[in-house]
Amino acid sequence: MGETNRSQELLPGTLDLLILKVLARAPMHGYGIAQRLKENSDEVLQVGESSLYPALQRLLLNGWVNAEWGASENNRRARYYTLTAAGRKQLTSEREDFDRMIAAIQKVLQTA
Amino acid sequence: MRKLIRRLRYLTRRRGFEAELAEEMEFHRALKAQELGAGGGMGNMTLAREEAREVWLAPWLESFWRDLVFGVRMLRRQPGFTLLALLALGSTVGINTSLFTVFNAVALRPWPVKDPSRVVNMFHIVAADAGRNRPAGTAGFSIAESRYLSEHARTLSGVIAMRGAGPLKLDGTPVSFVFHVSGGYFSTLGVGMERGRGFLAEEDRAGAPEAVAVIGHALWQNRMGGDPQIIGRRIRLENVPFTVVGVTPPDFVGTWTDKPLTTDVWIPLASMALLRPNDPSVMPFLTSPDYCCSQMAGRLAPGASRQQAQAEVSLLLKQFSAGASDSRPVLLTGTAMLANPGFKRKATSLLVLMFLAVTLVLLLACANIGNLLLARAAARRQEIAVRLSLGAGRMRLIRQLLVESMTLAVTAAGFGLLTAFWLPGLVVRQLTDSVVPRLAPDWNVLFYTTALAALSCMAFGLAPALHATRGEVAGALKNQARLPSVRLSLRGVLLAAQVAISVMLLAGAGLLLRGVQLARKLDPGFDFRGVRVISMDLPADAYSGPRMGAFTRALTDGLRSVATLPPWGLAGDAPLSNGRTYTSFRMPGEEASHDRMVAFHAVTSGYFDVLRIPVVAGRNLRSEDSGGLVTLINETAAKRYWPNGAVGQILVAGTERREIVGVVRDAATTSLGQVEPTLYWPIEGRWTPVVLVRSGTAATAQKIEAVVKQIEPRAEVKTAPLEQNFESAVQPAVIGAGIAGALGALALLLASVGMSGVFGYAVRQRTREIGIRMALGAQPREVVWLVIGSSLRALGAGLAAGVAGAVGISRLIAHQFYGVDPLDAAAYAAVLLLLAAAATVATAGPARRATRLDAVAALRWD
Repeated sequence: MGETNRSQELLPGTLDLLILKVLARAPMHGYGIAQRLKENSDEVLQVGESSLYPALQRLLLNGWVNAEWGASENNRRARYYTLTAAGRKQLTSEREDFDRMIAAIQKVLQTA
Repeated sequence: MRKLIRRLRYLTRRRGFEAELAEEMEFHRALKAQELGAGGGMGNMTLAREEAREVWLAPWLESFWRDLVFGVRMLRRQPGFTLLALLALGSTVGINTSLFTVFNAVALRPWPVKDPSRVVNMFHIVAADAGRNRPAGTAGFSIAESRYLSEHARTLSGVIAMRGAGPLKLDGTPVSFVFHVSGGYFSTLGVGMERGRGFLAEEDRAGAPEAVAVIGHALWQNRMGGDPQIIGRRIRLENVPFTVVGVTPPDFVGTWTDKPLTTDVWIPLASMALLRPNDPSVMPFLTSPDYCCSQMAGRLAPGASRQQAQAEVSLLLKQFSAGASDSRPVLLTGTAMLANPGFKRKATSLLVLMFLAVTLVLLLACANIGNLLLARAAARRQEIAVRLSLGAGRMRLIRQLLVESMTLAVTAAGFGLLTAFWLPGLVVRQLTDSVVPRLAPDWNVLFYTTALAALSCMAFGLAPALHATRGEVAGALKNQARLPSVRLSLRGVLLAAQVAISVMLLAGAGLLLRGVQLARKLDPGFDFRGVRVISMDLPADAYSGPRMGAFTRALTDGLRSVATLPPWGLAGDAPLSNGRTYTSFRMPGEEASHDRMVAFHAVTSGYFDVLRIPVVAGRNLRSEDSGGLVTLINETAAKRYWPNGAVGQILVAGTERREIVGVVRDAATTSLGQVEPTLYWPIEGRWTPVVLVRSGTAATAQKIEAVVKQIEPRAEVKTAPLEQNFESAVQPAVIGAGIAGALGALALLLASVGMSGVFGYAVRQRTREIGIRMALGAQPREVVWLVIGSSLRALGAGLAAGVAGAVGISRLIAHQFYGVDPLDAAAYAAVLLLLAAAATVATAGPARRATRLDAVAALRWD
């Protein structure tokens, strides 16, 4: 499980936020989400299946994303995830929480 | 909540979900393999899939779901048991739910007026009967009082007076129930009219009446075909034209609290003058404070409490009567729908009795199913022991067994709810011909049934589940059918409960049946057999007040001139007829607040001859008494009020002083049951008379009809036997007996099935033992005894408890129905015989099986 280590170092709950953010731009299948996370983080965030799929199921269960089957770039059947209205709201609020948290951590790091 | 629904959707479509997940991850893997090329590090796909799947499962939901699937499977595997349990539980829950549906419709459904809790009824309190602990009676107000209150009361935002006008002819067809109401009736109650409007205050002015009417929804639909142009249409009440100004909504059936419960037509109080143009008493009735009594209600003004209103109304009435001695206390009650407190009490105790009965049947069904489950649990002991020994938690097993019971209960509740859609309507239609407001289950009923299912599930499921999961793993695994050692088993208790409950229900039914029988035999104090009641319908506009008096006198003279008539008499009402007439009286010199309520009948001397009621003191009425100020009283009244001799005494009724000229023997002429103090006055012109005649021949009736027609050709004359009145007075007990009988039969059936099951199980469980005994030469009789004997104590205990309970319940029944004797030996004997017969039938099958056992095969049995 060596390659999943990095993603496990993410702050808890951050993965959900990142997935929502990726989906906010466009619907995407699971692999695509992982790729996008990797690219956008300059290869720092490498999310393995054992984190990605539970996270996606969690988002489905909470009703923040919908899943639909469609054709992928190379014409294979792939499951595309779309952000729902509830998901969009969740993204905003989680984003605010996250920003506040980061600011708090930084403040501690700088002053302590 | 949404989350739960998504989880449930996952559970029901699990395979599809998993296939999708697998496909999706396979796609991921393929792309990744492409990217990494051969030999790249791959994650553990299976583990990833497991983890993804787990997101959907709340552990409790998962195990509950498994239990449910397992439970359904177990129930399906034993269709006989399941069917039996569902039938028993479904029918009893159905009956229970049906009764609740009726109760809900009658008592719980909000009254269709604005803010019903602010509506109050108003009564005068009539002094309690001296020496007896009877509650004080209540009386209404005069119209004049109500108008005064309506003008002056600040704690009431509206005051309404109402008075039944009885059945009248509508457009020439008889019987429409008409209700006189004050002008503010509809606006004060806040009835949202279906069409048109309610009355205006100016339409109800004494002396300037408007001929307007509001009609009921049912009448509009049934008689007028739902005419869309109904507003403004003319209808004729007793040949007097009225203009329809409004139609009430379908659920507003009026405020009349006696039969019939639905009002067809409402007209203003003042229009009484239009219906009875020749009646000089109409004007005083509408304007004089001395003319009692109309039902009264009011709406509390915003912020006013009932106590404040009661105080103000008392004060205002005192001012109104200014100095007059009449200062009876005033009572305001909150029960707006059931206007008469006595009526409500009676209806409630009847409902309590019925709920008691149906709850008993439900308990019986629960005991029954509990017993069946217990037998089944014993058969599953091995399965349960294996699970326990493999480390299953006891709680977990109990939960699983309870889920099975719950599956049964919920299915049965479904049946019950279905039943409640048609049964109440069917029964109520059988009982009355009046329209009952919609009798369909609503959310209240759904909630009630759900609670009932949950409770019954606990009742029949919990004990067997606890019982089945009790330790003793080793013994069960060895499959030693334990020889019955502890005799006070759960099974015995359940059997006893079943027997006890069926005894109670059957005894109730038996007592009611006997009550009906006895009531038919009991002497009501008068001889109603062979008496005909000839009633007449006179044009109401022509006959009222003095003209009715003249008619009565003419009728008396006319009948007297017919030489060959058998004994006959006139009366204002026939004995045991629907209407009950009461009056109040006091002793000379007493204040009005001492008034006592008594029943009374207006009669001629022949009344006592026809009904064969002897005069025990003084004299009978004489023809010269006609309309005079004398009275007869019955023995009860004489004993209670004039213990030192009544004849010659004076009583004051209203404003009239009457001399008591005689005492007649007690007779239940008002209603069956205990005879009330009763006065009999010479008939005058206040009521349309009926003729009572002691003859079965049609010729006599024709002669009397001829006399009536001679005086008034427009009269319509009807003849009916007096027995009819008696029959309808006994009717409630007959219906009660029918319902109780049906419940009792159901109970007997359930108990028989239960007993049969218990004995059958005993045979199965002890097959090996029976085989050994038979191989050793036991006689069939001994074998049968072996099977039955073990349950005899339970049966006996059940019988004893049942009889004790029945005696208790029967006191309640005797309170409600005429003729019921709570300690009727014949009824109890019949019940015990019936039960013994049922027990014999129930044991016959298992006993035969036991005696026919092949000893060799039985020894190999395990």
